[in-house]
Amino acid sequence: MGKMNRKRDRLEVIHDFLQIISNNHNSIKPTPLLRKTNLSSQSFSEYYEELLQKGLIKEIKNSKGKKYITLTDRGFKYLEKYKYILGFIDEFEL
Amino acid sequence: MPVPPFFGPKIAGIELAYTVIVVFLCFLVYYKTKDMYNLTKYKGIGYFRKAFLFFGLAYASRFILHILTFTSRLIFDSYMPRRATFPLMMIVVGYLSTMAIFYLTYSTVWKRINYKHFIIFSNVLAILVSAIAFISRSNILLSLLQLILLAFTIIISIKKHKKGKKKSHARALYLLISTFWLVNLLLVGPRRFVPFEFKVIMQLVSLVIFFVIYYKVKKWVK
Repeated sequence: MGKMNRKRDRLEVIHDFLQIISNNHNSIKPTPLLRKTNLSSQSFSEYYEELLQKGLIKEIKNSKGKKYITLTDRGFKYLEKYKYILGFIDEFEL
Repeated sequence: MPVPPFFGPKIAGIELAYTVIVVFLCFLVYYKTKDMYNLTKYKGIGYFRKAFLFFGLAYASRFILHILTFTSRLIFDSYMPRRATFPLMMIVVGYLSTMAIFYLTYSTVWKRINYKHFIIFSNVLAILVSAIAFISRSNILLSLLQLILLAFTIIISIKKHKKGKKKSHARALYLLISTFWLVNLLLVGPRRFVPFEFKVIMQLVSLVIFFVIYYKVKKWVK
């Protein structure tokens, strides 16, 4: 089964979410982010709130008052440690 | 009253060294995975961490129980009689170790079971087990109860195991940790029929398993 078809794991969704922001020079508007994450609006809102709350992403406004989303240091740390986290979960069957 | 020959300074020293190393390794596993858990809040990692926290505390309280079994008459008679301290420690040991076994098993099956009352359920059972241990004042009965619980959790774990999933030997390690805990608990008290050498070899093997787990944790937590 292809990656796009199977149900994505929560950790994987968060990883993809953060990776999209990082790939966009660490600055992306909410609407293109929603499109690129391939999530429903409701799921997107839930993840978005969760990541804000966990301090993995933050909102910034440019001089024109437009909202952008960027990664925090914790967000970058998540991306950096992602493969180790998956390795750990696999190793201990968690 | 002289110190019994089967619990001289040499045996007490070995028990202490064994306990210190196991407790240290358990707390190290708990501490090393803190960062990973805080970053992800992944439930499986949370249960895994708690299992090792409870195992560390259970081993520490087991050592106190072991010391009480032999020395309470010598040391505490005038202050705290053995009949008061021993059952109290049985409650602590019973509760902590039952929780450790539950958390360890649940960490591997929580995705398939996803039982939202797990914490309440495991606490109720752990309190029940420790209450029986308190009333009976028998470490043998406590071991048997935990053996039944362990067998039950193994059955659930096997039934809920995802077929075709890559094997990592984690379950075998968990089973060994739990089994060694039960044997260790069984050996608390004056068991003259258990040769000293057997006990030491068993503790060495148990240490190797804890070291293997710590090594595997360290490999992924950088």
